[in-house]
Amino acid sequence: MAAFAPPPFPDLSIGPDMDLQLALIFLQQGIASGLVSGSVYALLALAIVVIFKTSDVPNFAQGEVFMAAGYVALYLFVFQKMPIWVVLPATLVVAFLAMALFRRFVLDQVAKSAKDLVYLVIATLGLSYVLKGFVRRTGFGDTPRSFPALVPTDSIMIGQASVTMLDLAIFGTAVTVMAAFFWMFNYTKTGRAMRAVGMNPKAAQLVGVDLRRCHMLIWGLSGVISAIAALLISPKILMTADMGSIVMLAFAAAIVGGFSSLPGAVVGGFVIGIVENMVGLFISSRAIVLAPFLAILIVLVLRPQGLFGGKLTIKKV
Amino acid sequence: MSSPPLASPAPVRRALSGPALIGLVVAMIVAVALPVFTTGYVVYIANLLLVFVVLCLGLHIVIGETGQFSMAHAAFYGIGIYASALANRAVDLPYPVAMLFGALVAGAVGLFIGALALRMRDIYLALATFAFGEATQWVFANWDSVTNGPNGLRISPARFGPIEILSDKQAYPFVLFFCLLMIGLTVAISRSRLGRSFRAVRESEVAAMAMGIDVRRARIVSFGLSAAIAGFAGGMFGLFQTFIHPDSLGFQTTILVLTMVVVGGLGSIAGAIGGAIVFGLISEVLRQAPQYQEIIYGAILILFMMYAPRGLFAFIGDRIREARHGR
Repeated sequence: MAAFAPPPFPDLSIGPDMDLQLALIFLQQGIASGLVSGSVYALLALAIVVIFKTSDVPNFAQGEVFMAAGYVALYLFVFQKMPIWVVLPATLVVAFLAMALFRRFVLDQVAKSAKDLVYLVIATLGLSYVLKGFVRRTGFGDTPRSFPALVPTDSIMIGQASVTMLDLAIFGTAVTVMAAFFWMFNYTKTGRAMRAVGMNPKAAQLVGVDLRRCHMLIWGLSGVISAIAALLISPKILMTADMGSIVMLAFAAAIVGGFSSLPGAVVGGFVIGIVENMVGLFISSRAIVLAPFLAILIVLVLRPQGLFGGKLTIKKV
Repeated sequence: MSSPPLASPAPVRRALSGPALIGLVVAMIVAVALPVFTTGYVVYIANLLLVFVVLCLGLHIVIGETGQFSMAHAAFYGIGIYASALANRAVDLPYPVAMLFGALVAGAVGLFIGALALRMRDIYLALATFAFGEATQWVFANWDSVTNGPNGLRISPARFGPIEILSDKQAYPFVLFFCLLMIGLTVAISRSRLGRSFRAVRESEVAAMAMGIDVRRARIVSFGLSAAIAGFAGGMFGLFQTFIHPDSLGFQTTILVLTMVVVGGLGSIAGAIGGAIVFGLISEVLRQAPQYQEIIYGAILILFMMYAPRGLFAFIGDRIREARHGR
């Protein structure tokens, strides 16, 4: 699990005599860092939830889509030396097409030959293996790399928390993307069609929604959102073929928020980001890895529908 | 779960006559005589395949029979390995007792997870069991005083009375015996009232409830049994392996077992066994081409889901039938 860059001040050992002053600093730092990493989890959770909401498939390959998009950008920018204004749109287009085509040519076929959810999930697991294997095969995934930051990484103080310009850019971009997506999903004709498909695909088809096109669009958009998340975070982490495993934090976020709620995914992302950083600061950096799994287990046991999940419904015969 | 049409007795009898029966007998003879003719490596692979057969039987009970999507199978397997190895080492129990202990510990954990799982289904269950599997792997890697953490644990040789098992060849008859025992047990469970209640729950919980089946009990018990069988597979692993490392008990193992069950055909015992052997051999061959391993695994999963969701054997059977009856 790729934990994000540690906060930029010395790792102080925390004893029982930890004073209030230090606790307050930690609290502020934890919230600031948590909002930054949380915004990336929120984006990925949004990508997962929008697919689940509209086509009932939990996409277990979302993390690898995120990873592969990061490598496409890395390849174009660092190895092909393309200008950044070409790299960014090219990466987004590739992510969009890959996901839309996977939906159209693979999942439609799976859905046709087998009705059960398990089969669709296994197909997405297959995609995750193919993408990971492919990145490793190209040789780019063998050595950890870093995507160059496009924004200065000088730190500035907000309150008593230290953040960088890059952090602010990540947070700002993520929030803008989320806002744009919500606007699209709630107020445009395409967005309304997507919501209709999520509620009742047959009825949506009856009123003239092209189901296949709508699904391709949703999967493509989810790929774009994942690619944006990858572009935002890859200057801060070491890129490896396994970096897709941070999708677990996104799944945790989606579950905390309620798996089919878009605002829930966003809130869940920030909650997971802050909790993760708090655990790292107050308990131990070793425990960070365990935090998302415990969060998933606890939320699913206590409130399976998540914080924003509404009432549980039982599927009838 | 899109279930295959119920087989009428006639085709079953026909399938077990002639070539199929001969094939079965030949397979048995090959299996029994294997260590006489072959070298250590082949016997080692055979041992490993038999362990995977048992693991697949465990997964078959929870996914194939009851339709609960569990992704924690590597965890139960690992619990079985560690529990039986530690029991064997610490108390010097006779190895069969240690294996039983491993199965019981894994089964108890499985019952607990099954009880938690009552409130979830589908994707939520998959994610919760996935989280449990990852957390368990973390425990294996970090509970240094018990599991020896990231350094891995040495497994002492198994002892059956005066016999100490020191080689793959010596272990093979025991592994084969325990594998056949587990196949028999799984068939017995599947044909019992309990097995029928599992399948009823898979088809429809509401309908099962209406027929007077205790759905909660069936779901918990299927988790417990599945975990116990996986734990037992862990004990079998300890018969011929001398070392276990937490890295080998992660999500990849769960996916490997899931792939085997899927390749064989979800919902059939023969499919689980055949899938374990066929895909086990495929993945052993792929070991020669590690760069392509992941791509090919993934492609196999995708292609099977697209064109042969009922598994390799049903797919071949369908093609043969088509050929026989003309298009």
